[in-house]
Amino acid sequence: MRRLGLITAVLFGGLLAYATPDFPDWGDPRSPASTHVSPYYIQNSLADTAVPNIVTAVLADYRGYDTMFETTVIFAAGLACLFLLRNFGPRAVESRLYRHRPTGITLRIEQGGDLPENSAEFERIDSQWVPYDLIIRCAGRLVLPFIQLFALYVVAHGHHSPGGGFQGGVIFGAALIFYALSHDLRSTLGHLPEARSLIVAAVGVLIYVGTGVLCLLLGGAFLDYAALAGLLGVDPVMARSHGILMVEIGVALAVTTVMVSLYYYLATAGRLDEGL
Amino acid sequence: MSVHYPALVVVMPVVAALIIAILAWVHPSRALPVAVAALAAAAGAAAMMLVRVLAHGPFAYHLGGWPPPVGIAYEIDHLNALVLAVMAAVALINLLAVWPQAEQRFAERTVFFYALYLLFCAGTFGILVTGDAFNLFVLLEITSISGYALIGLGRRDAALASLNYVFMGTIGASLYLLGIGYLYLVTGSLNMADMAAILPRIQDSRVVTAAFIICMTGLFMKMALFPLHGWLPNAYSQAAGPVCSLIAPLTTKTMIYVMVRIGLYVFSPQFTFGRLDLARAMVWLAVMAIVFGSLTALAQTNLRRMLCYVVVAEVGYMVGGFWLGTRTAMTGAILHIVNDAAMTLCVFLVVGTIGHQLKSDTFDTLRGAFRRMPWTMAVMVVAGLSLIGVPPTCGFFSKWYLLGGALAAGHWGLAGALVFSSLVNTLLFFRIFEIAYFEPVNTGNYGHAAPLRYAEAPPAMLAPMIAAAMGLIVLGLLTGEIVTRLIAPAIPAAIP
Repeated sequence: MRRLGLITAVLFGGLLAYATPDFPDWGDPRSPASTHVSPYYIQNSLADTAVPNIVTAVLADYRGYDTMFETTVIFAAGLACLFLLRNFGPRAVESRLYRHRPTGITLRIEQGGDLPENSAEFERIDSQWVPYDLIIRCAGRLVLPFIQLFALYVVAHGHHSPGGGFQGGVIFGAALIFYALSHDLRSTLGHLPEARSLIVAAVGVLIYVGTGVLCLLLGGAFLDYAALAGLLGVDPVMARSHGILMVEIGVALAVTTVMVSLYYYLATAGRLDEGL
Repeated sequence: MSVHYPALVVVMPVVAALIIAILAWVHPSRALPVAVAALAAAAGAAAMMLVRVLAHGPFAYHLGGWPPPVGIAYEIDHLNALVLAVMAAVALINLLAVWPQAEQRFAERTVFFYALYLLFCAGTFGILVTGDAFNLFVLLEITSISGYALIGLGRRDAALASLNYVFMGTIGASLYLLGIGYLYLVTGSLNMADMAAILPRIQDSRVVTAAFIICMTGLFMKMALFPLHGWLPNAYSQAAGPVCSLIAPLTTKTMIYVMVRIGLYVFSPQFTFGRLDLARAMVWLAVMAIVFGSLTALAQTNLRRMLCYVVVAEVGYMVGGFWLGTRTAMTGAILHIVNDAAMTLCVFLVVGTIGHQLKSDTFDTLRGAFRRMPWTMAVMVVAGLSLIGVPPTCGFFSKWYLLGGALAAGHWGLAGALVFSSLVNTLLFFRIFEIAYFEPVNTGNYGHAAPLRYAEAPPAMLAPMIAAAMGLIVLGLLTGEIVTRLIAPAIPAAIP
């Protein structure tokens, strides 16, 4: 089997090497990739869409339909994780650890004992005991708002600089995961429960698809943002720019929440109880 | 609204999947009607597009209002209108037939099963209508991811089988993408029609040759062509019944459609069949696939596993017919894509139902099945006859074209393999009929025959299954129409 793999790899490598001499030269301005469709984007994207960042114009408008499905792929990945990993079975009540805040003493409450839920004096901690780490918590709390603000900037500034919904969404999602790491999973779940997270993910993709359907209902083709001009009260070119912003927001919502959901399921083996 | 059907047929299932993912947390019981409505609407749109193609010929839809090659276009022609109409009907009938099983099998997860089911269908429909090579890859990702998830939650070893499928499927899809990347390198375009216009000018480039080989190899992996079929039997036999009867009819057939699309409409027929001398080797590979699939199917003692190997053999039929490169064989291959989707649906629905009602799908549990589940077994008989190739079922007609094409081309190997495989299928299915009809039922009651428990499926599951069986006969009777009005215009004139 190993030999078979080796033969396959050598054959495939040979095929790639065979094709290489006929490649266009590195950075050749006369290569087909730079002379066929690309010049259209370079010359017309600003006039067509009022978006200075050509990448954003291609990604979210000319080929916006691909991007819609890329967002759907991310959503499908979240759904797949939920489908496979989520533990819907009855939750076994195992022993739990609580920390008495004023004294810092840790109590283990065995199965069947009285759990001090909702008590101001006791806080629940993970059963793989983590020492109380003031520095990490405070540092985390300090950095978080800046990460989130930067994420919003990246989403909003995709029209002008590298960025957009995917990148901003990833940063925002990372911020929430960072919160879970520096505090614990339950505090993140308190802010963004599982159901809410997945609903927001679906809403995010729906914003994208819905924008497309709206264009269609207003008389354009699917995802033809120019059809939104009447609704937004701007000219068709600006309507494209605004349409791109709308779908980028949808992408950001979906990416953020799918990232967090993936973390929930993977970190807790689908129990959403305790984990890293 | 009718101009938007090409987009709607894909978008409606996506929207429904998203709505279901929201409903899951508030109103789980509403999910099923939404799913059925979306698939019914998609099937309706597919049928309307078929009617339009028949009346007015091919048409295109420009997504975002951008004409190709700047934007993405959906191109509906005779070939994909036919395949799409059948696939959409298959997806709808399967959902109607399996939802009672799914609700039992997946419990709280059923809602998410519906959402993934719809995403899978949306991806498949999109692959069929798209005229953009990269868009095809994106849609392939959707089908693949939802397919992996659906298969992963099956029987005991499903997770491992699904993981295997993830590896093989990802490599296959990546190869396809790499091939498209190579084509983009030399054409600068992603639109299939545009590529097809540029490629004849540069077909001596080694990059084009490499792109062709890489693309096709990726598709062979995704369609489970022998010897790259390793993932299929485990993935399909470990998957839950409702999943299996969705994925088995759609996945391999869709990939064969893509092979036809790329081979005829991106690369020219002259290139595909003439340039590399690959065609002859491919036909022999198909012959091996048919013989291997049939022989391995004979060795199985589990109904579902046996059918998985029948699927491997059927892939060989279509690949062989396509690579012969003659008009008759090509007609047979394209007709078989449609017919095989219907036959596979039918036969896997029966197996899923048997597995659900009798709690097992080994040959032993089939004893007395004709008395316990007469209607289900009647459907099995129709599907079996179609797989064997008995008129008037549709299996006969596509096999007739394939066999005729092989004989006309003088390819005795393929002709022999087709006849051999039909004989083996006869053996396979009549063995099942014999076990289910004649073999004594051992009830474990010290040899005394206990009264057989009637275990027929409820009417809600039976009705779609019977509809699928009728479909096999209807497709068979419509063969003439399908061939002259849809398949003949779909095959380029360059094919002799």
